[in-house]
Amino acid sequence: MVLFGVDVDYLAFVVLFCVGLYMLVRKSNLLKKLLGLNVMETAVFAFLVTAGMIEGADPPIRTAGTGPLFANPIPHAMVLTGIVVAVSVTAVALALIVQIHAHYGTIEVDELKGLP
Amino acid sequence: MRWLGLALVVVAAATLMLGVADLPPHGAPDAPVHTHVGARYLERGVAETGMRNLVTAVLLVYRGFDTFLEVVVIFSALVAVVALPRGRAARPDDGDDRPPAASLTAEGPAQQLVSVSPVVAFVVQLLGPFIAVFALASLYRGHVSPGGGFQSAAIFGALFIAIALVQGRERAALLVPRGARVWLQALGPLSFALIGTVGWILTGAFLGYPADAAAYALREAMVVAVEVGIAVGGAVILAQLFMAMEG
Amino acid sequence: MTFSWSQAVAWLPVLPLAAAALVPIVAQRNARAAGGFTFVVTLLTAALAVALTIRLVAEGPLTVHLGGWVAPYGIELRFDRLGAWSAPLATFFALVVPFAWRYLEGSVPRERWAAFYALMLLNLGGLIGFSLTVDLFNLFLAMEVVSISSYALVAVAGRGTAAWAALKYLLLGSVSSLLVLFAVALLFALTGSLNLFDVAARLAASEPSPAATLALASLAVAFVVKAALFPLHVWLPDAHAIAPSPVSAVLSGLVVKIGIVGLVRVMQLAGESGIALDVFSELLMLLGAVAIVMGAFLAIFQDDIKLMLAYSTISNIGYIVLGLGLAVPFAVSGALVHVFNHALIKVTLFLAAGSIIHQTGLRTLTDLRGVGRTLPQTCAAMTLGAMAIVGLPPTAGFISKWYIGLGAFSAGRVAYGFALVFGALFVFIYYVRMLNTFYFQRATREEVVAAVEPPWSMRGPVIALAAACLIVGLFGGILLAFITPAVGELLAAMGS
Repeated sequence: MVLFGVDVDYLAFVVLFCVGLYMLVRKSNLLKKLLGLNVMETAVFAFLVTAGMIEGADPPIRTAGTGPLFANPIPHAMVLTGIVVAVSVTAVALALIVQIHAHYGTIEVDELKGLP
Repeated sequence: MRWLGLALVVVAAATLMLGVADLPPHGAPDAPVHTHVGARYLERGVAETGMRNLVTAVLLVYRGFDTFLEVVVIFSALVAVVALPRGRAARPDDGDDRPPAASLTAEGPAQQLVSVSPVVAFVVQLLGPFIAVFALASLYRGHVSPGGGFQSAAIFGALFIAIALVQGRERAALLVPRGARVWLQALGPLSFALIGTVGWILTGAFLGYPADAAAYALREAMVVAVEVGIAVGGAVILAQLFMAMEG
Repeated sequence: MTFSWSQAVAWLPVLPLAAAALVPIVAQRNARAAGGFTFVVTLLTAALAVALTIRLVAEGPLTVHLGGWVAPYGIELRFDRLGAWSAPLATFFALVVPFAWRYLEGSVPRERWAAFYALMLLNLGGLIGFSLTVDLFNLFLAMEVVSISSYALVAVAGRGTAAWAALKYLLLGSVSSLLVLFAVALLFALTGSLNLFDVAARLAASEPSPAATLALASLAVAFVVKAALFPLHVWLPDAHAIAPSPVSAVLSGLVVKIGIVGLVRVMQLAGESGIALDVFSELLMLLGAVAIVMGAFLAIFQDDIKLMLAYSTISNIGYIVLGLGLAVPFAVSGALVHVFNHALIKVTLFLAAGSIIHQTGLRTLTDLRGVGRTLPQTCAAMTLGAMAIVGLPPTAGFISKWYIGLGAFSAGRVAYGFALVFGALFVFIYYVRMLNTFYFQRATREEVVAAVEPPWSMRGPVIALAAACLIVGLFGGILLAFITPAVGELLAAMGS
């Protein structure tokens, strides 16, 4: 299905990516910013999986009774790896946010800006 | 500033639309993405790696170095979190700071006092062993069916967090013996370095696996060693991340 | 087992990364031992990288196909003249780590030393992996190893302000990483391959498409953020100034260079695939020129010496980007040599500044008046570094800036040539101001009067680095001769 000249699955990626970007840029709360970042990451993962998909194909596990078409295994491997990376970055960010809260007593960027 | 942010989003959306509008239609088996490297893996992967799950084959065999860096990334996350001071009340060395008005620690003990519903506690205790078996199964069967080292690590990690919530952190922490932690958390990168070297000695290529039929058992053993390293190392790292985050 | 040097390339990133996992184990017995262990690992890595560089000069590039899978079916690491960057990387770490031994005692509690040293090794391994790999997804992962360890290293000295600086760095850095991942996904969707040269060849063989241009553009934007080019530099000054000094040296001298290495990869991709990035390289040149002037200009107003050095990095990144954007042999050679020279000089300056801060407890120019008389050796090293960064003739920094300038004039970009000259003038002003306060003003703080030279584990690396600033300046031609073949290849592919 095509909307605005773009395949609807890819359109969903663009929408998701921009929702995340909006949260990252416009929200003042650090946790919301981090959530926005995660939404953007999810968008890119969805894009990768979409690119590796074949209409009507089986997952790339070649056991008896599957095939003849299989989805591309590389994007799956990349997304799996990407998820681990995203989790790692999120963990570090959360630890930093805890730290900021302990020090400043706030995690709102608007309030943090005025503080030394 | 408001307008700048909104403009950025609009520009990004427009650029992305222009970019993806031009991609080959997805889902068609003859798109370039499906006819090149991926097609070769699908065609010869089972014969070359002995794994029916080709995602695992890509992760461990064809692109093993990616997976090495992946375990390094999650290990870095743990080291990074440990490197930061704990989020307790301001330390003496924080010097000129204001007193932490409403620090997370103030809420910390309160959070632990929230009692867990007996239903939840019962369900976790009932399902715990089954979840553990499921994690083991997805580790052991990871190269023939959906699953693998990281999936197993994630399930173990989730189980740990569930137990910590129901039984308390102290009891959950007993699952990861304190003395063994530094060894277990290093298992991912170390097992890769070790098996990579074994592969180097056997095949002449770092991270290589012997391909001939005679070495079938040896290859299986190497794969299992790496998978166990990923799963146990990953699970211990996830558990420790959870414990370090108590703030 | 047959030993081959090309297989040894695989060990170059693996050695520090695997050793990082061992650091907490070593530290269990004795936190101090972790520092020694880390030093030994960096030395071994440096020795291996130097041995490989000697091989490279004698026999040409070394390539390893990991797992024995030939590219594009597996991951390929290349130790070529650009990958040889890993030799100085490891050497600088081998100098920074001993400096950190004593420095940490005052700034990081003992129980976190293990994590600090592990992060340093992870950072080194990631940087090496990033400069060797020609697989795009692998490039992304190596970049993430560097990024995560860098975020944590900024905050390791443990104040809330440091955490806030680190988080700003993390948020911008993650967006840039995400752009890289998106670009890789897009290129993969277009070609079905992840090997850089295979992707380029397949793009060249297919119809030109806006998607490929978008991918290259988002890669370039991402790397420009990592390099902290002028309007996207906002994360840099705080992060680099707040981090403990050994970390500042690594971040400012080495980590920002992943943006530059990344831009070189984009140039390779663009060249080999025939995608024209003319508009983009114009933009790069313009921003580079603006960065040279603005970075230097903003540095003049800084009272905090580390903040001043951080702004100076922004200015120097401008030089390198301008050189790359000009895309003429002189300028690109100059830019690539400046990647090394700036690393050397900035590590020297940050370690010297770190020594001063460590010995006096003060960090602003106003407080540090007259420190040149109480810390003569450290301040002499600082002076040598300052001369080198201004680009005065016998020191490192002269020849690379000179070549970038020559390139600008030979390409007929006279305006950029003048931007370079003006930048140098501003740089001159703020370093003269620094030297003036150090040597010719009366001390106003008793900490300065009472200060003594730092212990030898700190003084040794600083003096060695300062000496290197002079020696590299005298033999700068060797570096140019080393990098010129790589520049030739790069520009031949780009068809200019």
